[in-house]
Amino acid sequence: MAELAPPRPPKGADQFTTACDYCVVGCAYRVWRWPVKAGGAPDDTVPWANPAQHNLISWRGEAHHVLVLPDPEAHAVNPGGNHSMRGGTLAQKCHNPTNRTRERLGTPLLRVAGQLVPVSWDAAIEIMARVSQHVLKHHGEHAWGIKAYSYQYFENTYAITKLAFDAVGTPAFAPHDKCANTNDAAGLDDAGLEAFAPSYEDWGACEVLFCSGTDPFETKSTLFTQWIMHGARPDKTLIFATPHRTMGVAWGERAGGLWLPVLPGTDTLLHNAIARIIVERGWQDQAFIDRWIAQRWEVDQGLGRGTRNTPWQWRTTWGTFQSDWADYRAFVLGRDEHRLADAARLTGVPAEKMLRAAQLLAAPRADGSRPKASFMLEKGNYWSNNYLNSASFAALGLICGAGNRAGQVIGRGGGHQRGMVSAPGHPGWLSPEKYSGRRKKPLNLDRWLIDGKLRFAWVFGTTWIGAMAASKELERAIARHTVDQREQVGDTDPAAAAAALIARIEAGGLMLVDSDIYPVAPLNTRYADLVLPAATWGEADFTRCNGERRLRLYQAFADAPGEAKPDWWAVQAFARRMGWGERFAWTSASAVFEEAARHSRGGAYDYHELVQEARRQGTTGHALLARMGSDGIQTPVRRAHGRLFGTPRLHDPDNALADANAWRNKLIQAFNTHSGKAVLLKSPWNFPGWSEFYEAAKPRPEKNELWITNGRVNENWQSGFDDLRKPYTAARGLPQMLFMNPEDAAARGIASGDRVRVVNDTVYVLTGMPVGVESTDQHFKALLAAGHIKVTQGDFEAVAILDPGMRQGVAKAGFNHPAGPANAVCHAVPDPLTNNYRYKLGRGRVERLGVSEFVEDLQGVSLKARGLI
Amino acid sequence: MADEPACLARREFLLTGGKLVLLASVAGLPTPLLAQRAEFGAQRLSRLDELTLGKGLWFDYPRPGLANVLVKLGVPAGGGIGPERDIVAFSARCTHLGGDLGGSLQAAQQVLGPCPRHLTTFDLTRHGVVITGHATQSLPQVVLDLRGSELFAVGMMGLVFGAGATYG
Repeated sequence: MAELAPPRPPKGADQFTTACDYCVVGCAYRVWRWPVKAGGAPDDTVPWANPAQHNLISWRGEAHHVLVLPDPEAHAVNPGGNHSMRGGTLAQKCHNPTNRTRERLGTPLLRVAGQLVPVSWDAAIEIMARVSQHVLKHHGEHAWGIKAYSYQYFENTYAITKLAFDAVGTPAFAPHDKCANTNDAAGLDDAGLEAFAPSYEDWGACEVLFCSGTDPFETKSTLFTQWIMHGARPDKTLIFATPHRTMGVAWGERAGGLWLPVLPGTDTLLHNAIARIIVERGWQDQAFIDRWIAQRWEVDQGLGRGTRNTPWQWRTTWGTFQSDWADYRAFVLGRDEHRLADAARLTGVPAEKMLRAAQLLAAPRADGSRPKASFMLEKGNYWSNNYLNSASFAALGLICGAGNRAGQVIGRGGGHQRGMVSAPGHPGWLSPEKYSGRRKKPLNLDRWLIDGKLRFAWVFGTTWIGAMAASKELERAIARHTVDQREQVGDTDPAAAAAALIARIEAGGLMLVDSDIYPVAPLNTRYADLVLPAATWGEADFTRCNGERRLRLYQAFADAPGEAKPDWWAVQAFARRMGWGERFAWTSASAVFEEAARHSRGGAYDYHELVQEARRQGTTGHALLARMGSDGIQTPVRRAHGRLFGTPRLHDPDNALADANAWRNKLIQAFNTHSGKAVLLKSPWNFPGWSEFYEAAKPRPEKNELWITNGRVNENWQSGFDDLRKPYTAARGLPQMLFMNPEDAAARGIASGDRVRVVNDTVYVLTGMPVGVESTDQHFKALLAAGHIKVTQGDFEAVAILDPGMRQGVAKAGFNHPAGPANAVCHAVPDPLTNNYRYKLGRGRVERLGVSEFVEDLQGVSLKARGLI
Repeated sequence: MADEPACLARREFLLTGGKLVLLASVAGLPTPLLAQRAEFGAQRLSRLDELTLGKGLWFDYPRPGLANVLVKLGVPAGGGIGPERDIVAFSARCTHLGGDLGGSLQAAQQVLGPCPRHLTTFDLTRHGVVITGHATQSLPQVVLDLRGSELFAVGMMGLVFGAGATYG
């Protein structure tokens, strides 16, 4: 009889707790490891496993089996064994030389005469240090930059930011998802709402949930299937604002919920029109507003969110956005575009659906009680109209009484887990960019590179090119400053290599270093001068928080391939060679974690008390966290009565704890503003910093264009770096998909499975460094007139999937697919309020190229719609 | 079933990737994983002309308690038999966490699902591949044989959730 199931671990197999490497939900996992040579009776207490949950790995050079399963002992996140298709295949991400994970980087590689050749770590560090010393001496710290993930574990992000902000002191730093070191959903922040304040129990306990710009079924899967479908209120009503009716939306609709098929970027009007209905009818939660909404003097006296000369101070104190209840009420009621008919025309959402949404969210019941409504936003919201969408969503939630109590919360659903502890230094004040007037604006690293200002760049774990807007233009700039330069490395001798790179830099070029776990096309396969191999999940001990601030230890259980090292180790080696060894003197991963703790204080991921407790107990921070298993502890970590306590929900006045250190972290019991009250923000649709760009970015009917938005799909996490190498997902082919409304497709002669090309012949890219005196100087029309907007071209290819759940006029591609960078048709002109891109506002004409191989391939990927129910 | 071998070869790849190679190369492994096709005793399901387009015929196989559905889809399907190559049968146990797909046949869409537990859907024209959702294995497909005008189940391709070596 054929054996189809993987082997079972023997009794006594090694066990490790960890959490998933992928999405923000951060499910709890347990690893069983046993030598291939081991015998013994199978342990019948281990849950059943399928082949995707098994692998063979190397541990200390010996072949071992591993099973990676949802932790049967978990009490949090995913108790009961639930998992997504990402976590369900964690075992198969482990390095195994007999499958495509053999492509893992195992040694530093130097590009010599165009080819990547192995070099030692010592040689790699020597070249980097020589070039860096030259750049810092002759071009200054602004010319030395880092582009890094913000999520891949506290140890690494702390080391990387310590290098950038403290040791080098450069403002040229941008996280993986942004062109500048900004905050994501700035409207939430300005309202005083921490984006990850809610707990998963809150998402489960609400009676109505408004999901804006996301279907958590796709890539926050277990949050959806465990907490939203179930939780304390499985009968909850779901409202989705998104142009694509994916499975979660379809399920929600079937259960009496609503799909609001909003046109990209217009969510602000949708929120304000719903708010207008609520205010007109007196459905707002007046008691909450009276207690928790900052009055005018509280906003003014506190200078909005703080007294410093910051972007948020500027936004929250200068009239256009700042408000109090009376002013907000007048704003919502007074503007024509908030009236149902106008809002319906502009947003594409039928008036009766907006009316129904307002009823569900706020209409008091016969007994006078209010529905418990919660508000979740994600990238469809804030990466389309960054400030106005997030600010208007926060305001809508607040007037419905959400923000600080069980089942009534406002927050992000999340993308990645929360893995950033930023080192101090804050060289943002060195940024040459300013908002109009004199307020510092974070440096736009893409523009800095395109303009030729960057001479040395170290990239950590991001595709950079495909992840950023106007990807093709960014790629052309990277090529121009690296491989297209005359000066190239001719041999592996570190002194000679460094000399060649310095000569290139003096000719206006750039040295590009990329740390990653795989070859990443085209960033390190085609352009990087030096490629450094990183150790990843399961190969070194790491820590981070998930989307409810749950801190866990992600334990090592396998050998890293070759000489791959955790990124903090590479940073330390480089810093030592630069002469900064005393500041990078860690002897273990836990030492990094422990040092970083003091810089987490006061924030949402504050674990200082955990490290203090470890010291009291004479153990390490990692060791104490390991004892907490896959349940971990929710930050901020507090200590009272000699015990550690987690914090399930932020901003909650009922979080009272006899806690001597409560003063240190205001977030725990109050909103994150000077007054501790939330700020209602106005979001005028005709604010020219938005409206001028929106008019320019819209699809052009004369060119037969559609909105080309993008979003995550379950089977392709990020750039597919693992999925394209895991047997089940890889065998399906996983092409870049373009979901199209059947009528839009028919009008272009496109059938399901056709290969298509999406072309935007007018992709706007911000160049130069616009200086603003008047606030309008940094709005689109003035930038265009002043020559700061370059017109470029972008395109990508995809396989069309006809989906009646795709609203007409909008097509959606997968996010950051390596075979078809959908960001190529998006404009790289940041929101002038926040310096964030508006990635979801691509446009283009869709051209049929022919029938793809997937039509006839009955063993390949499914071409069916996502929301068939 | 003339083209079945090629289909099965790809099917095995779908289900196992490089694992067969890997396990063959590791000394000391007690039982190598073999092909994903398991043969069981033939079980008569239906006469060809008794099948109604789009109407599922539910049956247990290879043992009582393991439910499957036989359906004539009306469009050609991977592994499909009959004159139109559109008759297929699949396990009705979700490969994600074992949910019962018994009430979720969308024959007009050639879909089984969404699973009532976590909403995974499977494409019946493409060997039960996941359309969207959380399963990490395709839906096990029942190997069918047409003997004259009689349809028989003769084996399973793929692993039924929770089943061991003998589907016991």
